[in-house]
Amino acid sequence: MALIENTKCDCGHNNPVGTVLCESCGKPILEQDQQATSPLDMRYEGMSRRSQLADKTIIDQVWSFFSSVKIAIYMIIIILIASAIGTVLPQENQFLPGINYEKFYIDTYGWFGKLYYESGLSNTFNSWWFSLLLLMLGTSLVICSLDRVIPLHKALKKQRAKKNPQFILRQKIQTTLEEADLRQSPESYMNAMEEQLKKKRYQVIREKDALLAEKGRFSRWGPYINHIGLIIFLLAALLRNIPGWYEDHMIRIMENEIVSVPGTSYFIENEKFTLEFYDPATLPDALKQEGSERVTPKLYQTDAILYECTGDCYTTTPQLKELIRHPITVNDPLRYEGLKFFQIDFELGKLKSVDVKLAHEETGQVFGQFNLDFYEPGTEFSVGEYQVSVVQYFPDFEIEMNGDTPTLITKSRVPNNPAFTFKVTGPLSPKGDVVLYAPLNKPISDKINDTLGAQYSIAGTMQDVHFVNSTTLNYRVEKALPFFFVGAFISMIGLVMGFYWQHRRIWINEVDGKILLGAHTNKNGFGLRQDIVDTSSKVGVVIPMEQLKDGVKVK
Amino acid sequence: MKLIDFSVTMFMFAFGFYIAAALLYAFSVTGKRWGKSDPADHISRWSRYGYWTAVAGVTSHLIYFITRWIAQGHIPVSNLFEFMSFLGLAIMVAFIIIYRIYRLPLIGAFALPVGIIIIAYAAVFPMESQPLIPALNSNWLKIHVTMAALGESFFAVGFATGLMYLLKAVDQSKPSKQTFWLEFTLVVVIMLIGFIAVTFTFRALGYEAIYTQINPKNNQIEEVVYQIPAIFKPQQGEVIKADPFFGTSFTGFEAPGIFKGMNAGRKLNTVVWSIISGLLLYGLIRLIIRERLGRSMSKITESLDPELVDEITYRAIAIGFPIFTLGGLIFAMIWAEVAWGRFWGWDPKEVWALVTWLFYAAYLHLRLSLGWQGLRSAWLAVIGFVIVVFTLIGVNLMIAGLHTYAGV
Repeated sequence: MALIENTKCDCGHNNPVGTVLCESCGKPILEQDQQATSPLDMRYEGMSRRSQLADKTIIDQVWSFFSSVKIAIYMIIIILIASAIGTVLPQENQFLPGINYEKFYIDTYGWFGKLYYESGLSNTFNSWWFSLLLLMLGTSLVICSLDRVIPLHKALKKQRAKKNPQFILRQKIQTTLEEADLRQSPESYMNAMEEQLKKKRYQVIREKDALLAEKGRFSRWGPYINHIGLIIFLLAALLRNIPGWYEDHMIRIMENEIVSVPGTSYFIENEKFTLEFYDPATLPDALKQEGSERVTPKLYQTDAILYECTGDCYTTTPQLKELIRHPITVNDPLRYEGLKFFQIDFELGKLKSVDVKLAHEETGQVFGQFNLDFYEPGTEFSVGEYQVSVVQYFPDFEIEMNGDTPTLITKSRVPNNPAFTFKVTGPLSPKGDVVLYAPLNKPISDKINDTLGAQYSIAGTMQDVHFVNSTTLNYRVEKALPFFFVGAFISMIGLVMGFYWQHRRIWINEVDGKILLGAHTNKNGFGLRQDIVDTSSKVGVVIPMEQLKDGVKVK
Repeated sequence: MKLIDFSVTMFMFAFGFYIAAALLYAFSVTGKRWGKSDPADHISRWSRYGYWTAVAGVTSHLIYFITRWIAQGHIPVSNLFEFMSFLGLAIMVAFIIIYRIYRLPLIGAFALPVGIIIIAYAAVFPMESQPLIPALNSNWLKIHVTMAALGESFFAVGFATGLMYLLKAVDQSKPSKQTFWLEFTLVVVIMLIGFIAVTFTFRALGYEAIYTQINPKNNQIEEVVYQIPAIFKPQQGEVIKADPFFGTSFTGFEAPGIFKGMNAGRKLNTVVWSIISGLLLYGLIRLIIRERLGRSMSKITESLDPELVDEITYRAIAIGFPIFTLGGLIFAMIWAEVAWGRFWGWDPKEVWALVTWLFYAAYLHLRLSLGWQGLRSAWLAVIGFVIVVFTLIGVNLMIAGLHTYAGV
């Protein structure tokens, strides 16, 4: 049902429904507002907005909901509180994948951890409801801005100098100057003020008995430009969902290893990993005196080579073409056509391989030796007259009791405690003997080998062990990155426009031989009052600062 | 004299100048009733002295900053002492900018002490230089940290003027919710002062106690050093050595249930000491003034124009907001992108920078669109700075993340 409202102003102007101040003369539209004496509500120049239409379809209602600044503030506050709660315990994404989150939260934080995990708070920032909140805030940004910027633009374009006396005298900054104050004709005062205000770089609109001086109007667009930037920023976050626009993987590479980059035909090699500490002797004096006994790392560096595969890509011997070499350090990734590799983590002295000797169990006669790699163990080794084949490999070996039968299992794929079972075929054992080799669990493997009755021993010494350094790189693609930064940049321009300049307006009208002076700004009223005091005193009319507020009220 | 020692000396000078400047400003406002001279003349003369003393403080502080930079070879904003000290400098600069716009001497009597407390708090942390760890070795460090601090320093000035507004506008003739929370805010500030006083007292006495504690992260036994006597010792902590505390051999109660972490017991002890010393200090003040502190302080703000103070608070925040957006969020994102390959990773410090930003964004919308001015606006300015302080210090003390500095 349409509300019937009289929106025709005394000055003869027809205003749309929802108008607060007459579009033409600025007189308050509503009866009760005309009776009041409090300062006028100058937001959006008192214009009618789409969200205030009386007739409401569903779309109008949705529009009204999202166009409310109150709702927007509620959304900001909810996001703020949710974010804060999301930092109470570490989020799941702060750990390397593969751990049992539920167990971790319960073990570490008890009942609170359980609650935190089960309510989904441990994954706040990747949750659907948090994304929904951001999406709603984004919608609100768009609708709030559209709902206000269009009427505001219209209002500021068709401003008049002649205003209703109520409009002028109910500004926060206002005063009335009688003839006695002026000591000149109102018209000559207005002429002189026009000149002075122009000197202060005000734009002046002059009608016969009215003057409007305006400055810094463009700052009114600041908030909307800022919002456009924020909208672009949020849209960029949506762009990440386009396949190939966003990649984020951890790649662990040992020295001299070449691994494939997930989802691409590229390969990357870690030629060398370097960890350097500050040398106390070379530190500046200031750091030497107290900090020298402390060991502070200075550099983490991976010398990386990026290759492109040109053939046999899915075999163990792909054909590679070198593309680029780069020493990756913490603040300096390898970049190649949108792919980026960042230094994230490292591991020094990892068990890599061992040279083992095949020997006769009793006599100790050595038949030969071979290199056993804990990462790529291979399957067959020729050792002199003997053939050694890998039956099973347990990188992280443990014995589990299966009823009464001991069973060999592996706990993970990381060679923390490697064990091999080999089948050795040769002159001594044409059918093949099974031998267990578990270098870190010698007593157990000896015992098992005894029961197996093997005629061979396989052993290596500490000197035969090879260690290797490995690096962890973070492989990333973020094609939306320019959009994020363009959004942030536009937003910044809007903020600077809106906050470091102010829109100042001064209305001076002559009514019955008196001067009515009113002024409005959304910020820095102090500066605007100073402008008025300065200009007016220059034309011979001293207005005390205090008189500009709490001055004459409307009768 | 070594350059680094000269630098420390300049820091001490700056601290002295700031205290003198704050006193001069306070005297310019309060002293006008005693003197024989004309009150307006008194205010303008003593606030001028205050202003130039503050400028001298900023100059010495800048010399400290530059000489330390030269001496250690990298910008001194890379540990908590250096950062808080820089924040103090930025607050002084922000104060001078706001003061030059509005020329209100009382701002000096409120904003300068905020900066002074921040600087004194900085000195609680280890002052020695440290080599730069690889993650901080970037030009974006300089620009991100300094801009963020400058933005936050305007929020600090907004906090000071917000407090001034509350002292002026809250009706102190009878107790109310408003007087309670205002008094509470003042007590928290006094607790911070109490904490600083306690730390320096025991440091001067050379107090030390060492406890062992099982680190729950790796089940190793590690040592925890207390520099103030233990009211609460670590959970299942054993005393290795404890200097006598006023002649008693009391070595502390065991920290209760939830304070399990490696330094949780020591941090709890610090908080308890702050509360006790703050309350004692507050009690002493109450004994002397025999009324609410807020009521007593409201006499200084009597002559204030509340609308002007309201506008100054808003203006300080409006100036700080774009700077904070640029330094605390945009430059931070650029640096994170350069260093870690992701401009945003929901690290606790990042989240709290966002929380700060959202809070001030809400403040601005409430004020500009919903007309929240005066009291409500002043309360928000006070709460906002509490969030800033939590982001800077609380996150480091309570929530670990990528921004954990050494020495905390």
